[in-house]
Amino acid sequence: MSKRIADALFEAAYLSLITLFIAFSVIPVLVALVLSFDARGFMGPFPPTQFSLRWYERFLADDYYHAGLATSLIVATVATLIATLAGTLAAIALSRATFRGRAALQAALLSPLVVPNVVLGFGMLVFAARLGIVDGMTRLIMGHVLITFPYVMRTTAASLVGIRASYYEAALSLGAQPWKALVQVTLPLARTGILAGATFGFVTSFDDVGVSLFLTDAFTYTLPVAILAQMRANLDLTIAALSVIFVVATVLLIVLLDRLAGLDAIVGRGVYGR
Amino acid sequence: MSMAVLELQNITKRFGSAAAVDDVSFEVQRGEILALLGPSGCGKTTTLRMIAGFEWPDEGRIFIGGDDMELRQPYERNVGLVFQDYALFPHMSVAQNIAFGMKNRGVKRAEIGRRVAEALEQVQLPGMESRRPSALSGGQQQRVALARALVTRPDIMLLDEPLSNLDAKLRLQLRREIRTILGTFGCTSIIVTHDQEEAMGLADRIVLMNKGRIEQIDTPHALYQTPRTLFAADFIGHANWIGGMLSRRGGEAGVVKTALGEIPVMSGDLGDGPATLCIRPERLSLLDAAARPDTALDAVVERHDLTGADLRIWSRLADGTLVQSLEKNVGRHLPEPGTAVRLGFRMADCVVLPGRRPQA
Repeated sequence: MSKRIADALFEAAYLSLITLFIAFSVIPVLVALVLSFDARGFMGPFPPTQFSLRWYERFLADDYYHAGLATSLIVATVATLIATLAGTLAAIALSRATFRGRAALQAALLSPLVVPNVVLGFGMLVFAARLGIVDGMTRLIMGHVLITFPYVMRTTAASLVGIRASYYEAALSLGAQPWKALVQVTLPLARTGILAGATFGFVTSFDDVGVSLFLTDAFTYTLPVAILAQMRANLDLTIAALSVIFVVATVLLIVLLDRLAGLDAIVGRGVYGR
Repeated sequence: MSMAVLELQNITKRFGSAAAVDDVSFEVQRGEILALLGPSGCGKTTTLRMIAGFEWPDEGRIFIGGDDMELRQPYERNVGLVFQDYALFPHMSVAQNIAFGMKNRGVKRAEIGRRVAEALEQVQLPGMESRRPSALSGGQQQRVALARALVTRPDIMLLDEPLSNLDAKLRLQLRREIRTILGTFGCTSIIVTHDQEEAMGLADRIVLMNKGRIEQIDTPHALYQTPRTLFAADFIGHANWIGGMLSRRGGEAGVVKTALGEIPVMSGDLGDGPATLCIRPERLSLLDAAARPDTALDAVVERHDLTGADLRIWSRLADGTLVQSLEKNVGRHLPEPGTAVRLGFRMADCVVLPGRRPQA
């Protein structure tokens, strides 16, 4: 009997934990969503009493945000493209390497995942200055390649592990040169991993503040940096409207990917889904 | 110029200090099906991979169609490979899979379409062009893998454990099909397997390997009837063993002194010394009173195992050795366990092998 009570208690604890977790992750988004439609011109008590689209209008009318959004999109796109190419090649090279120090090299290439972005940003700033690169856009792209690259490499490496060596060897025995076997067999089979890495990388880049903060200049800044600056200067609810746009954009990206490759394949099963 | 499509000359391959393949030489003739047979770790797969070009021999040379393969990459060899897991490209249709090799070898588009359809016809999967490999059964995948390799018209086909991924019934059926398909294409083939029945059923000749070396190369029949080593006799089929010392008596004749007395044998070219007699169960028979075999042994029946068509009778010899004999299950009355019997065999029914078996 007491065992049943223990089971029931455990189940209750488990359910409340999940509920709390969901509440913590969803409520802030909901609050931002509701506040973004607030008609009041100041940060009043929650919930708002009247609703309007004024913060969205302000965002749409504000060139400062537009410039940030454009920069963010360019940086994220270019950095993701570069990182996807480099990360995929690195993962393939590492998956075949047999030399000593392979694990160390892999750890080094993945290290931007664990090094704080502030450190990476500062490092890249000094590095770019030494190279004589003062252009904000170039610096930003360099920094963002650094933070998106590990995602692509990690997920591609993971999906390569699932691809049996016999596929590649079969291609060779059927007369394909190594590069052809790679392009026609290995890469298509690893595509879900590559795509997943690119997605995570893009989102990470789009979202980043730490690295970007060091690499922006007066004319080239990313959207998150713009939001941060605005928050400091004059806190108004445009930020809430922006947050909602961010969430919607992310959801759209995920839906798009789901259509293209199957979300299931990207986050879950890996190679053999289709 | 010999007719050998493939020739291995003194191939040795070491991994670290251990030789995975040790001084292996053999030839495969045009149209022949050869089996590389042996237990796991005997070097048969490494040998296959060296022929395909995925591993490089440390010593020795490989010739395909008379050409030295020393500097040829896998994609520069005209070899058809069927992998144990079939390795059908999962992101391509059946037709794309089969066309893959022809595209790489520059066959014209119209020709490719025609040959894909023809190949599917030949492996009895007509109209399957647009299917995905994952939508096929194991047996069908196997046949597509065969078609994909055969359609490039390779000098030699290599099949790595082709039936090990299938269940027992399907295996028997596919064994016949593979034989038919390879015969239709008239393709010289090597089949790697650890399954002696598969090797016996598919191959014209068997290369029996053990610990990286070749034990014996022979037809399935000869390998079973006249094994030349204890390993060969033990690996293929069942056998009864009687250990002793061989002394020659001039000519082919000899005698093996055993704990059960002297047994006359055909010693062949074997020298005097420790030897073991190998008698296949179906050659060891229960004797009736009138029988006059070359050798008769007293025994006591221990038990029977019915295998269906046959009855396996286990008896103990005077020196304690347990032996098995096969009797057809035709309703004849057979001695019950505990009965004293005489077991006999003719001189021609036993093989003398050099050396002694380690006591089990």
